[in-house]
Amino acid sequence: MKNKVLMGLAAIAMVAFLSSCGKVPQAQIDATNAAITAAQTAEAAVYVPAEFAAVQDSMKVIMADIEVQKSKLFKKFGPAALKLDATLAAANKVAADAAAKKVEVKKEVETLMTEIKTVIEENTALMKKAPKGKEGAAALEAFKADMVTIEATVAEAQGLYDKGTYMDALNKVKAAKEKAVGINTDLKAAIAKVKGATPAKKK
Amino acid sequence: MRNIWRNGLIFTAVVVSIPLILLLLIRFTPKPPIVEMDYAREILSMAEKNKADIYSKRLYTAGKIYYDSAMIAWRRENMRFLYLRDYEKVLMYAELSAKTANQAGDNSVSSASNLKIKLKEKIDNLHDLESQINGQFTTYPLTSEIRNRISKGKMLLSEAEIAYKNGLYLQANRKITDAEYLLTASYDNATENLKNYFKSYSIWKNWVDKTINESKKNRDYSIIIDKFSRKCYIYHDGIKKYEFEAELGKNWVGDKRVSGDMATPEGMYKITKKFDSNKTKYYKALLLDYPNDEDKEKFKSEIARGTLPAYAKIGGLIEIHGNGGKGIDWTEGCIALTDNEMDKVFKIAKVGMPVTIVGSMVDLQYVENR
Repeated sequence: MKNKVLMGLAAIAMVAFLSSCGKVPQAQIDATNAAITAAQTAEAAVYVPAEFAAVQDSMKVIMADIEVQKSKLFKKFGPAALKLDATLAAANKVAADAAAKKVEVKKEVETLMTEIKTVIEENTALMKKAPKGKEGAAALEAFKADMVTIEATVAEAQGLYDKGTYMDALNKVKAAKEKAVGINTDLKAAIAKVKGATPAKKK
Repeated sequence: MRNIWRNGLIFTAVVVSIPLILLLLIRFTPKPPIVEMDYAREILSMAEKNKADIYSKRLYTAGKIYYDSAMIAWRRENMRFLYLRDYEKVLMYAELSAKTANQAGDNSVSSASNLKIKLKEKIDNLHDLESQINGQFTTYPLTSEIRNRISKGKMLLSEAEIAYKNGLYLQANRKITDAEYLLTASYDNATENLKNYFKSYSIWKNWVDKTINESKKNRDYSIIIDKFSRKCYIYHDGIKKYEFEAELGKNWVGDKRVSGDMATPEGMYKITKKFDSNKTKYYKALLLDYPNDEDKEKFKSEIARGTLPAYAKIGGLIEIHGNGGKGIDWTEGCIALTDNEMDKVFKIAKVGMPVTIVGSMVDLQYVENR
C-alpha cells in the first residue's frame, strides 16, 4: 500500500515538474526592452537604422517564442532566455554604435564647416580679383547671390548642428560646400583666363 | 509470488498510463497559430526592409497594429486555462497583418521605384532650366530678389540631389518641389520681364535699319548702341567698322522716362557737342540731343496720364564718354567706353552724326536660342 501511494505521488510530481518547468524570463525581457529604448534614445534609427531594425526584429521573434512556450503544456523558456541575453547585448552594441556614428557625423560636420568657411573667405577675396568684363559683371552678381545663399545655408546647418541633428546638418553643409567649391573653381578659371590674355593698352 | 505479479502489473499500468495521459493532454491542447504568426512577422519585417514605413506608411502601420493585436490576443488566451484557449482571433489578426504588410511592401517597392524615376526626371529637367537661366540671363540685370530666389532654388536642387543619392527619396522630393517652385517662378518672372523689354523690338529694328541706310547713303559714320548686348557699333558706308564694349546707366532696362531714373534712353539722336579732356570729367565726351522731340512728347503724355508726377523733370546731358572699362553699369544714363576706345570714337565723331540707341539689335528668339 505504501508503495502505491509513493508511486502515485511520484507520477503527480513528475507531471507537475514537466508542466511547470521554467518561468517567463520577465527580468530579461524588461532589461532588453530598456536597452532597445536606450538605443532608440541614442538615435539608432537615424545613425544605424539596419542594425536597430535587426534588434527590434529579434525582440519580436523572442516575444513570439515566449507566447509559443506559454501555449504549451510543457513550457521551456531556456532558449528564449538565451536569445534575450544575445539581443540585450546586441541592443547595447547598437546604442554604442549609434553614439559612435553620431560623434563621427558630428566631427564630419565640424570639418566641413571649417572647410566651407575657408572656401567662403577665399571666394570673397577672389571676387575682388575677378574680371569685371561685360559678362563678368553679371556673373559676379550671380556669384554674389549664390554666396549669400551659401552663407544662409551654412547658418541653417549651424542651427541644425546646435540642435544636435547632425545628419541633416551634414546634408546641408555638403550641398553648400559643393556650391562654394564650384564658385571657387569658376572664379579661379576666370582669373586665370584674364592673366593668360594680353592686357589692354591703357592711356 | 502473486503479490509480485500484481505489483508489477500495477507498476506497468502506471508507467504506461502516464505517457498516455500526457499524450492525450497534449493531443487535445488547442494549437497556437505559430506558423501564421511567424509568417506575419516575416512579411512585416520584409515590408520594413522595403521601407514601407516610409513609402506606404498607412498600410504598414495597419499591418503593425494587426500584428500587435495578434500578440495581445495571444497573450490573453495564454492566460486562460489550457483547454479553454481559443486562438481564432490571434489567427485572424495574424492573417490580416500578413495581408496588409504584404500589400504595404508591394506598394512601397512600386512607390519608391516610381518616385526614384520621377525624381531623376525632375532633377534633369531642373538642371536644364538652370542652364537656360544661366544662358539667357547672363547679361540681363535681374532684380536681387529674383537672383536670390534662383540661388536658393539651385541650392535646394543640390540638397535634393544629395538626398536622392542617399536614397532619401521623400526628403529629395520635398526639396525638389521647393526648388522647382523657386526656379520656375524666377524663370517665368525673368522671361516675362525680358518679353516686356523686347516689346519695342520692331521699332528698334526700324531705327537700326534707318541708321545703317543713312550711313550708307551719306557714305559717313553712324553710331549704334545695343543696350542688351552692351555694345557700341560704329558703321561707315553701311558697314560695321568697330565694335566696343559699352557701359550703361545703373538702371538701363527700359527707356529713360524722367530725370534721375539712371536709365539710358532709347531713340535716334545726333551728336550736338564734342567735349575734349579739359571740358569733361569723363576723359572725353560726345553730348547727344536727348531729349529729342519724341522724348519730350512721351514725357508730356506721361505727365498728362498721371504716370509721372506733375513735378517730374525730363532728364538731359546724355553723353557717350570715357572712363569706362569698369565692368559694371555705373553711369547715370550715359554710355561709357574705355578711354582708348573713346579716343577712336572721338576722332571720327562730328556734330550732327547719328547716334541710335536701341534695346537690342537682335530679337528675343535669337537671344533665347543663342
